[in-house]
Amino acid sequence: MKNSDALVLGIETSCDETAVGIVAGRKLLANVISSSVDEHARFGGVVPEIASRAHLEAMPNVIAQALSDAKVSLKDIDAFAVTAGPGLIGALLVGTSSAAGLALALDKPLYGVNHLSAHIAVDSLNSDHKLNPAIALLVSGGHSSILEVTDLTSDVKTLGSTIDDAAGEAFDKIARILELGFPGGPAIDREAKSGNPDAIEFPRGLTLARDLVDHKYDFSFSGLKTAVSRYLAKTPSYLRADVAASFQEAVVDVLLMKAIGAAKESGIETLIIAGGVAANSRLRELASERTTKAGIQLRIPPMDLCTDNGAMVAAIGSLAVAKGLKPSQIGFAADSSSGISKPIF
Amino acid sequence: MSTYLLIDTSTSRTSVAIVGDGKTLFASHHDGALSHGEALPELVAQGLKLESRIDRVIVGMGPGPFTGLRAGISFAQSFALGRGIPWQGVCSLDAIANQISESDFIVAIDARRKEVFFARYTNGLRIGEPKVCQPSQLTAFDIPIYGEVSNQYPDPTAFIAIAESGATYFQPIYVRRPDAYPAPVGVKFRPMNQLDLVPIFSIEKSAYGKAAWTMAQLKEESAGKDRMYVVGEFEGELIAYAGVVNLAGTADVLTLTVADPHRRKGIGRELLRRLIDWSRTQKCEAIMLEVRVGNEEAIPLYESFGFIEISQRKDYYGPGKTAIIMRKELV
Ligand SMILES: [Zn+2]
Repeated sequence: MKNSDALVLGIETSCDETAVGIVAGRKLLANVISSSVDEHARFGGVVPEIASRAHLEAMPNVIAQALSDAKVSLKDIDAFAVTAGPGLIGALLVGTSSAAGLALALDKPLYGVNHLSAHIAVDSLNSDHKLNPAIALLVSGGHSSILEVTDLTSDVKTLGSTIDDAAGEAFDKIARILELGFPGGPAIDREAKSGNPDAIEFPRGLTLARDLVDHKYDFSFSGLKTAVSRYLAKTPSYLRADVAASFQEAVVDVLLMKAIGAAKESGIETLIIAGGVAANSRLRELASERTTKAGIQLRIPPMDLCTDNGAMVAAIGSLAVAKGLKPSQIGFAADSSSGISKPIF
Repeated sequence: MSTYLLIDTSTSRTSVAIVGDGKTLFASHHDGALSHGEALPELVAQGLKLESRIDRVIVGMGPGPFTGLRAGISFAQSFALGRGIPWQGVCSLDAIANQISESDFIVAIDARRKEVFFARYTNGLRIGEPKVCQPSQLTAFDIPIYGEVSNQYPDPTAFIAIAESGATYFQPIYVRRPDAYPAPVGVKFRPMNQLDLVPIFSIEKSAYGKAAWTMAQLKEESAGKDRMYVVGEFEGELIAYAGVVNLAGTADVLTLTVADPHRRKGIGRELLRRLIDWSRTQKCEAIMLEVRVGNEEAIPLYESFGFIEISQRKDYYGPGKTAIIMRKELV
């Protein structure tokens, strides 16, 4: 095998999706996801124990389906990759134990990988563009950060991140207040389509001149959340679609303002937007408009690769193999709060 | 004969063995309640260096703390998948019991939250499925208790014989359900009013027969002071009711009844949760209830909320029908 064509199987179980992806080098062969989101919807959030039970039950079938989609057998796999953190520890352990079982059974290398790096790495699939350097805006249920990516498998610097809620969390909370259901991201996106984004002027956190001194690339969404609740309380006749659209606009505006600012200032001409919130249609639309205007190259993975999936884990595993990086030690510890500075365990 | 990879992660100990043709080729363990995920692959890697040809995997399916337990099962099923060999699961407690030569005893292991998973063994056979309870409740059996307390852990080399005796599992033996429960789908809960007494009376009769409250009793009970009644409705029809009274700082469950066709859907659980919530708002220090001995549906429900048996009352529900008094502290 040439390292750059290695067949890599990636396993993702950090939250509520049991997912397996298979890639050959940078070519995506299979991406299978079994989600327990419906079971969690009734609680308005992910219940760790329910997620972990679902992972264990779904795993063998998800692996089998991915192999069948990719038309390969387990014996053909050159290396395994698995999300080792961040995530729910009980959920992560189902994935890492399963991956270790496969790697030991087949005597193949295993890479424990960082979930956040994987979100960005998925951008490498199905194209041959140069990967680095890039500014990455990583926005998901648990994270909102701006990163400077010199090398995705070894050198990622955090330029800024949220000081309170993650963008995805803000979507979930506002969706709950608006009684739009869980998960909140797609629900708000849908509702906002028939609303006016300029109807209500919601605040953009950390964008005042004095904020820019210490928090140039940081985000804050808690003030926005309070502003929305206040607005609803004093406006009994509010239009739900307008609230959703104006809230969404406030989030998306500030995300892009700061991310494009970082690209301009660093002189790095590529902006990657990744993570679950990158599936938001308004974010995609506005990002495309503003980057074109700023002369920055924009890359956003296809919608189905933005939310948690196995392809992204296989993708970063594949980059590690291509670079000839050492596999993780057998028995590495999953880390529920691991940071992006450690892409490979 | 064949070679077996044997794994157990149901206790704080991670154990791995490889047995071929009846001979133990490798057996090792690692102690540490939070390190199954790390220890297991390392131990298996060591074992495979001694014997890498494996024909079958057997894994302990618990009961045991869930996170560690799943690490073992997840590993086992994927290892078997990778090798294209069969795997099966056995009850981990059986692999402690097989080390003990008495005729009547209990095996118990830590279940966290001040509880234990346990099973009783008589003349070499397990009596029923494993259960969960508080350690103090085991002493009532008045027979010896083995397990983690006596530093005994599942011996995976015993798994082969246990599997051959036919007692195998393909789902983890969770015993406990997850803490979070979905609210019963389509069921609406609201405070009771006088109009509800007619449907309540008809459920009361079919649920309790001769021991049912009369209409007069129902009226009197529901109109009393310091109490709260809640009912559940499904498609506009009253199907469940419950009530609780605050007696000088201790809450007492007056009734908790679900019409027969709607049982086992989590409705009783939702009602009980509302009674407990109300009792807390009344600043009650504890909540108590009576349940008939042998009520296999209700007792586990109450236990899962932390109710403990504190005493029994003979003939409470009529001649020969003993009530168990249970209590849960609220402070
Ligand atoms: Zn994610």
